[in-house]
Amino acid sequence: MPTTLDTSAPAKDRFLSAFEMSNGQALNGKNASISSHREAAIQRFAELGVPTNKLEAWKYTDISKIVDREYTLPLSMNVPDVDASDLDDVLIEDLDAHRVVTVNGRVHNGLSDIGTLPDGVVVSSLADAGANHPDIVEAHYGKYADFEDEAMTALNTAFVQDGLFVYVPSGTAVEKPIYAVHLTVSDADVMIQPRHLFVVEDGGIATIIEMQHTLTDARVFTNTVREAYVGARGNLDHYIGQVESDASSQVQTTAAYHEDNSVFSTNTITLSGEMVRNNLTITPDGEFCESNLYGLYLGKDQMHVDNQTLVDHVHADCVSNELYKNVLNDASKGVFNGKVFVRPDSQRINAYQSNKSIVLSNEANMYTKPELEIYADDVQCSHGATSGQLDEEGIFYLRSRGLSEKRARILMLQAFAQDIVDEIRVDALREHMTHRLRERFASYFDRSE
Amino acid sequence: MALLEVKNLHVSVEDEDIEILKGVDLTLDTGEVHAIMGPNGSGKSTLAAVLAGREEYVVTQGEILYDGEDLLELEAEERAEKGVFLAFQYPVELPGVSMTNFLREAVNAVREARGEEELGAGDFLKLVRERAKLVDLSADLTKRSVNEGFSGGEKKRNEIFQLAMLEPRLAILDETDSGLDIDALRQVSDGVNKLRSDDRGFLVITHYQRLLDYIVPDHVHVMVDGRVVRSGDKNLAVQLEEKGYEWVREEAAAAA
Amino acid sequence: MSQSETEYLEGVASKEYEHGWHTDVESGKAPKGLNEDIVRYISQRKDEPEWLLGWRLKAFRYFKMLMEDEDSYPEWAHLKYVKPDLQDISYFSAPKDKAQYDSLDEVPDELLETFERLGIPLQEQKQLTGVAVDAVMDSVSVATTFKEKLKEKGVLFMSFGEAARQHPEIVREHLGSVIPYTDNYFAALNSAVFSDGSFVYVPEGVRCPMELSTYFRINEQGTGQFERTLIVAEKGSYVSYLEGCTAPMRKENQLHAACVELVAHEDAEIKYSTIQNWYPGNPETGEGGVYNLVTKRGICKGDRSKISWTQLETGSAVTQKYPSVILKGDDSVGEFYSVAFTKGHQQADTGTKMVHLGKNTKSTIISKGISAGKAQNSYRGLVKVGKNAENARNFSQCDSLLIGDQCGAHTFPYIEIGNPSAQVEHEATTSKVGEDQMFYCHQRGLGEEEALKLIVNGFCKEILAELPMEFAVEAKELLAIELEGSVG
Repeated sequence: MPTTLDTSAPAKDRFLSAFEMSNGQALNGKNASISSHREAAIQRFAELGVPTNKLEAWKYTDISKIVDREYTLPLSMNVPDVDASDLDDVLIEDLDAHRVVTVNGRVHNGLSDIGTLPDGVVVSSLADAGANHPDIVEAHYGKYADFEDEAMTALNTAFVQDGLFVYVPSGTAVEKPIYAVHLTVSDADVMIQPRHLFVVEDGGIATIIEMQHTLTDARVFTNTVREAYVGARGNLDHYIGQVESDASSQVQTTAAYHEDNSVFSTNTITLSGEMVRNNLTITPDGEFCESNLYGLYLGKDQMHVDNQTLVDHVHADCVSNELYKNVLNDASKGVFNGKVFVRPDSQRINAYQSNKSIVLSNEANMYTKPELEIYADDVQCSHGATSGQLDEEGIFYLRSRGLSEKRARILMLQAFAQDIVDEIRVDALREHMTHRLRERFASYFDRSE
Repeated sequence: MALLEVKNLHVSVEDEDIEILKGVDLTLDTGEVHAIMGPNGSGKSTLAAVLAGREEYVVTQGEILYDGEDLLELEAEERAEKGVFLAFQYPVELPGVSMTNFLREAVNAVREARGEEELGAGDFLKLVRERAKLVDLSADLTKRSVNEGFSGGEKKRNEIFQLAMLEPRLAILDETDSGLDIDALRQVSDGVNKLRSDDRGFLVITHYQRLLDYIVPDHVHVMVDGRVVRSGDKNLAVQLEEKGYEWVREEAAAAA
Repeated sequence: MSQSETEYLEGVASKEYEHGWHTDVESGKAPKGLNEDIVRYISQRKDEPEWLLGWRLKAFRYFKMLMEDEDSYPEWAHLKYVKPDLQDISYFSAPKDKAQYDSLDEVPDELLETFERLGIPLQEQKQLTGVAVDAVMDSVSVATTFKEKLKEKGVLFMSFGEAARQHPEIVREHLGSVIPYTDNYFAALNSAVFSDGSFVYVPEGVRCPMELSTYFRINEQGTGQFERTLIVAEKGSYVSYLEGCTAPMRKENQLHAACVELVAHEDAEIKYSTIQNWYPGNPETGEGGVYNLVTKRGICKGDRSKISWTQLETGSAVTQKYPSVILKGDDSVGEFYSVAFTKGHQQADTGTKMVHLGKNTKSTIISKGISAGKAQNSYRGLVKVGKNAENARNFSQCDSLLIGDQCGAHTFPYIEIGNPSAQVEHEATTSKVGEDQMFYCHQRGLGEEEALKLIVNGFCKEILAELPMEFAVEAKELLAIELEGSVG
């Protein structure tokens, strides 16, 4: 039973009445703890309203114009049909993985090929997990993605229906990556709100790859919330590829929490979309944690991509590394706001943050705000931000060796992106991304010729 | 027809009205090694830059013929494809650009221009190993980014290694000896000498005579204040070492 | 950390304020409160021309609107303090009921002594050579030295009030041209009630023959200081100007809301330095201290002009200021060099804005924050490259040093790039005084205090080097005093 948002009402009221109409019943009601958050979340959303760029956190990104559209909210449990051939077009070649496919935010068992998982490991829909593993869901769901100050997280929490659930029990290593293929399929403009929960218990090891695709020309607005928990000595390696259509927009909120001696790494590569806002919050709450944040955004046309990151060092003796790179062509816009927060008594923190941008066109804009907020003295924290053009010396050097100007520029752009690509530790994914990047860089110059 | 003919070349810096080259004449043929010597600021590196196609210089007068063709009409990469090679005084670091990718693109671009087939991966690697030996360059260096983290000597040897890979007809060495200790100088010179051949010309630009002890030139030209003021054989370099640049400067002033 | 080092650091954090005394000078003070009558009163006391009163009143009416709108108070900075009660402040205070002195002979001895005690003798024979001084106590300029000598070169250096009377055409042209009264909350307030300040005009082609300097002193209880400074450098001229500030110890907070406007025409250069040492409040309790909420902005109007801000900020309970440069002329240059030292309960949120509009404009930002005790020290800056600002270059470096584990150091840079030819580079680091550095100094025989002074001085060196030579020594000493403490 799809509900269409009534654009005659103010944006906030549309969601409130849609919530009322569905009354929680049409939503997934299989799990008490998921359902129990809804009321509080919609109330908080009612107080906060849709973010506008008057808020400091949304200063450069006016998401309200994306929210303010006539979307269908697919509230039923039915998953639209997708041809397996559609899937063939998007799959990463030679990636040997546990494949799980979601369609409009729900796991599609027919298209998934999860294969054999190690004992105790669960890869399923969040809805199923709510029924089959209520204690795990109860222990982690809604614990990390705080909706107190985040209207879009409140909205997701109120409307949450389904998403991906991954559970890795204590001491278990999942050797092959878990490969999530997220598809959005709809004839009408649609808004979906997936909710993912990843739990890696003490000593567990996993790699999760998420690729986001849209198989429609309709306008898609995805409001994702993802929570990740990594227990002591655990290791979660996480990749997101944002390769949706240019009519797609999203707000994607990732909240990761990890304990003593654990490692959480995440790498977000954004190649398309109309407006993309990624909120990433990592809380390393234990000693000797390592948090790695990488991101790459290759802007074209009218794209607008905003990466907001926060590493909240609530515990002493941790390390965080952050590197985000942007290449902006055409009239694309880039926003980066990275914050390293070191709480009182969180001593001996080493935190590094770097944001580098190359602006290729007169119409492109880059807004960068790298922040440090530090309340402990025995720390080594630094950030750097640069913005510039390709190094003309380097280009001349390449040309003097016989490379065409175009090839020289492509090579220099590839080199610029290389250290993000190098952080991809799954060979097939790295190959795939390298190929996509090369295509993108070539397209920059093909059009101008 | 000579390989390179520079005729009455006048060059200024773009945006500024400062003339750096004030009428340079030079003729160089295949099989020959010409050395250009001169004090700092005499314009010798500018000449190298103009030959390689740097855009910040403006040629206001004169011409450069390469194989009878107007060199100034060609883009930097077209010159490279036609066999003009510049060993940079300050080789540029290219972080993230792997030596192997870079070289393969460069070699194949030049081969394509010569109407040769692309080198396959195996043949290419074989060539890399063989040519790296010429300058005692560790094949490991080819796994790194171009010039990044290379020592001064490694950078210069890397330039000669690229020369060996691209097999140019005209090789210009711009102060290849600067910043090298005596061992590194010998390695670089040995490499260059092995690459001397009848179908290749060298233009060696240097401030000091010591490089010419190793790379023995057929002709020596002295450049002062944007002009070639004196030409001679290898003995001119020796004289210059003894008497200093003041000597030619005074002579040039007297002649003017 | 060794026991003695801990004690020493605690000592540093609790070192008290030197200039906390106040002078007994009878003062003619306006009644407390802010209304249109007060604005008229100030203007009348200062014998201002009609147009200036008109400008003040326009500003006041705008400010009244802001006061009625609670959201208009600037609360976005990383600062926590009780908002000043603007009705509980006296907006005009003139020593001995005299709003202006015509010559040095008229200045009461107590006042001259005040400045002597601050190390600023106003008699010209006692002066540092090569420095002309304007001394401002509360709302009034006490004396300006070397006026005649400057006049020979055509340089005008006088109190703002005097300038408004004597050179209305220059003042009128430039007042509010860089900081309109609608700019922000405190700029609006200042525009309505500004008392005195300095005025400098350097004619075409003149290199000002000496350093110009203004000393500001808040003396009277329950007053605020709202000075307004305007510096105009005509084509091809050069001027270096320095301001210094102190205040007595008061239990209540005193408000200082100044505006400084700089205009540099073609090929002109203005170097503006500040040594700010307002009373920082009680280091133990945080009681009292000056709220230093200031708007400073310069415009590089002409091609190849240059404006350079250098500041050493050690005082005030709360500091919020962002000396900025609008780089409008092609090839113009903006610089910002800052040391902000906070200890006790001090809070500082300071930095700069570099707005690149012209072609080939260049800016440099070097900011050093030092935080000790329970202090909070933030750098906040904006580098903006406009759409038409071809080949803009910026380099920013913001380093923070933490002394003790109760304080905070924060960095909030905004970078907005609207032109692809821009090259912008920002670096920031936060760390504490390295134990290996301290150990190295100890090993060479230096005690805690000497070692720390040495290291902090080294940390600030490149900024102090930007100060005019005449003041560099003073600045170094001030920093040393700030660091001084009881070594156990």
